[in-house]
Amino acid sequence: MIQNKLSFHQSSASLEIIGLPDYSNNEIKDQISIISQWKLTIADKPLIEGKIEHLGPIMNAFYIYSNLLIKNEIPIYESKLIDIKAENLHIHNILLKSSKPNVKPLVLKIGNSLLSDTINCFDQLNESPKVRIKKTDIPIKIAKKLRFGLNKNVKFFNFFIPPFIAICSLILFSSSFIYFYSPFENIEKKELISPE
Amino acid sequence: MTIWKLRNNNPLRKSYVTNNIKLNEFDALIKITVEMSKYLYPYIREILKSKEDIEENSVIWDDFNKRFIELIKERFNIDSMRVKKLLNQAENDEIIVKSLLILSFCISNQGYQKLKNFLYDF
Repeated sequence: MIQNKLSFHQSSASLEIIGLPDYSNNEIKDQISIISQWKLTIADKPLIEGKIEHLGPIMNAFYIYSNLLIKNEIPIYESKLIDIKAENLHIHNILLKSSKPNVKPLVLKIGNSLLSDTINCFDQLNESPKVRIKKTDIPIKIAKKLRFGLNKNVKFFNFFIPPFIAICSLILFSSSFIYFYSPFENIEKKELISPE
Repeated sequence: MTIWKLRNNNPLRKSYVTNNIKLNEFDALIKITVEMSKYLYPYIREILKSKEDIEENSVIWDDFNKRFIELIKERFNIDSMRVKKLLNQAENDEIIVKSLLILSFCISNQGYQKLKNFLYDF
């Protein structure tokens, strides 16, 4: 059976998806729902390819990392499959770990231009009506209300945790000065007052 | 004319007017920004790329930075601390890179929604 092939290009990056339509779901022959292979080509870098189960986590990693990068948070993403770290403001280190044993991880250094090309290739794939992939949990899909809810939770903790720690430490510190009632001491005192 | 007036809602500008921007006007500005980013993506990419190689002379970056500072001095209130930060060449690299990255990530068909989400998160 001839497999369908779709390519998504953006400047120096291109993503190729190879697969078949799901005929049991009455899909047209140009559609790709059963992905058998994917290849990500970045100019002057080694070819990245893998199984379908790797595509989602790799796309997720790029989306999460790019979000961290622009939201002034620490731009580090680590997982079993891929690590992405910022070397500086302009260069990013990508470590791709193979699922096969005895295969050394692939290290790539990409700049901001290649990072945005790659993200745009993934965007094209996500938006393509011809490819149906299991939707990844990319940040864009998070409902606005939920996002604000998450932010509020973080703010709530930030607001209450410091005074809570302060109160706890005050209690701990002051507890060392607590005068404990000692009945033997009292008896001695009474004896001193009334020597009878 | 309407877009020209909307620009004055920016509190960093010299000609700042305290009109509250309406939601539909905010949406319109985002749509214009996304369309401009799509059109200017090759240039944005080149500006980002010119700063990546330390050994190479970053002429494009320097030209962009120079023009950026010129425009800010011309149109923004330079007495403001936030504007001073934009003008400081030692500090403004990060602001410029992040702004260009945001624009370059929003050139897809869903770019409008993406940019809106980024702005809500700030």
